[in-house]
Amino acid sequence: MILLEPSYKILEETLRERFSNEPEKLVMNVADFDGVTYRVSTPESKSVLNISMSLKCYPGVQQYGADDVLRRIYGDALVAPEPGFDVTIRIDQDNLPADREALIRQIALLKRNALAAPFEAAFAAQTNGQETQLMTVHYREQEAYYIKAQHDRVTVIFSTVFKEETDRIFGKVFLQEFVDARRLPALQNAPQVLYSPREPPLELRGVPGVQDSENVAYVTFVLFPRHFAANVQEDTISRIQLFRDYLHYHIKASKSYMHSRMRTRVDSFLKVLNRAKPEQPDDKKQMKTASGKTFKRA
Amino acid sequence: MGYSGNNDPQFIIPTCIATRESPANTGKSGASTNLASKRGIDDLDYFIGDEAVANSKTYALSYPIRHGQVENFDLMEKYHQASIFQYLRCEPEDHYFLLTEPPLNAPENREFTAEIFFESFGVKGLYIAVQAVLALAASWSSSKTEQTLTGTVIDSGDGVTHVIPVAEGYVIGSSIKHIPIAGRDITHFVQQLLRERENSIPPEDSLEVAKRIKEMYSYVCPDIVKEFKKYDSEGEKWFRKHEFIHSVTKRPYTVDVGYERFLGPEIFFNPEIASSDFLTPLPEVVDQVIQSCPIDVRRGLYKNIVLSGGSTMYKDFGRRLQRDIKRMVDDRIKAYEITSQARLAEEAQIKAKQMEVNVISHKKQRYAVWFGGSLLADTADFYSYCHTKAQYEEEGPRIARYNKVFGSIL
Repeated sequence: MILLEPSYKILEETLRERFSNEPEKLVMNVADFDGVTYRVSTPESKSVLNISMSLKCYPGVQQYGADDVLRRIYGDALVAPEPGFDVTIRIDQDNLPADREALIRQIALLKRNALAAPFEAAFAAQTNGQETQLMTVHYREQEAYYIKAQHDRVTVIFSTVFKEETDRIFGKVFLQEFVDARRLPALQNAPQVLYSPREPPLELRGVPGVQDSENVAYVTFVLFPRHFAANVQEDTISRIQLFRDYLHYHIKASKSYMHSRMRTRVDSFLKVLNRAKPEQPDDKKQMKTASGKTFKRA
Repeated sequence: MGYSGNNDPQFIIPTCIATRESPANTGKSGASTNLASKRGIDDLDYFIGDEAVANSKTYALSYPIRHGQVENFDLMEKYHQASIFQYLRCEPEDHYFLLTEPPLNAPENREFTAEIFFESFGVKGLYIAVQAVLALAASWSSSKTEQTLTGTVIDSGDGVTHVIPVAEGYVIGSSIKHIPIAGRDITHFVQQLLRERENSIPPEDSLEVAKRIKEMYSYVCPDIVKEFKKYDSEGEKWFRKHEFIHSVTKRPYTVDVGYERFLGPEIFFNPEIASSDFLTPLPEVVDQVIQSCPIDVRRGLYKNIVLSGGSTMYKDFGRRLQRDIKRMVDDRIKAYEITSQARLAEEAQIKAKQMEVNVISHKKQRYAVWFGGSLLADTADFYSYCHTKAQYEEEGPRIARYNKVFGSIL
């Protein structure tokens, strides 16, 4: 489990189970990364399933054409959102398409698809040789990513907040590793990654809402046309969206790795300590007979 | 595991983890060098749950929890990690977590767990609840109960059955009893019965068939002799046929399902028909457990006997249990009345108040513990009962030694 999957496992398994069984009533509220919540319900009849998603930054991505992307992927299944949610998909279980797996897969990717719009817009603009203005997606409170297409590249900048001191250090080491790893001959084609702790990179100077504090870090990806050629574009979008969670996941994973190292180390120290216990002097030693009785030597 | 406020858990997976280590060098001496020699991302190469079982051919499978207690915290930490990031997909820093523990869990285990959750994952808040208490809370969904946290929980899973008395949210540890009869024993017993009576079952499938019959057809009968007569006199009404498909040849075959239907669960009430080493029937064990508790809570314990776990799902299980316990208690009270007041005249005798015995079965029985947790974690009070990250940083892992009982004020 090195990479996180872009699809949402709970939705995937719930749908798969539902589609193969008799429909029954269901209400389910679940959450995903970045404060996304889903609600799967059957409000009208047992076989009509509503899948709603609320996404804090949805109004933000809407202006970059998120609605169009979703309509392209889900077609007529996309209906007016339920109150309190941003996107709703309705599925009639009585007439499912032949390729159920594909449908399940697309629904599980709902969040990814909803956020894909600004990326697609930027990639399309760059392919045509145009520049776009800086597109901002506030995917979490205080954290955002910025996308900008330039004439020869697309720049994606992440801001992320570390809540803890140790996390920040780990994050720094981890991100430094990105820069170093690129020197390996095998990874020459990887996108260039720049890391700047504390202060925002040059591209973001003067953008409102950009923070400049101790525990903020900025990561810049420079994507060249080969990274978003038609055949890899889907993958690139999924990976980049998950970058923040990927980063935080690995910070936690390295912490638990450290912890397991510490535990084994403590165990071995304890063994040393146990060996070092002073032996009782002879006169204080209790002698025991075979039956377990003690006695004093005269 | 799952998100609170839902009716059913989102994932039900076995607690096992498959790591990239050949079992030969996981021995005690090799472990420390092994870990240190791992570089790169080897330590992320593992699977949990069903995926682990599927990959057990190339990976080493291990179970970090044994007998309800965590034994290997390294693996448990990885397990939590995968369940949070891969399965639930949430940023632990944004969420509160509710974990469960078996009764009589060592406080050290709680400390270790708190350490993992606060130090590695940095969770917002953590609450460790006792499973039996959550099972009691789950029974509130049944309409006929009042919401109390006093009661006896009968928790019967696959391996072992526990009878746990809980008074006002606190487990009475000294009175807990274990019964070595549970789902697995019923399956084996059904299998044995089938082997004697039915010849159409291929031997390699017999365990699977027994399991299916146990899950689909079993029920508890009020009287075993009458039930036998019923089957003999009007067999076609009671015998069921079930079509199975051979696991290898894919050829269908039919099995007559007969006495197994009521004999399987009967081993709870008459254990002597299946095993020779444990002979106390379940109602008697429950009665003993309650009798060993402090006298002032006994009424509450009899009044609220809650079932939880998959092996209590048989039809009429609760009714039979209630009848048997009631009979036992009434007999005792009567005998006591007679012996203690024998010398008094008839009109001077005092009648004891009837003991109320209630066995509560409800729809959520199977995952009662999970459902109770989901119910309680969804209340607004839950957050105030959690240990928060700030508290942890102030005091260290010892805060997890004590968990406030919550729900008692609901």
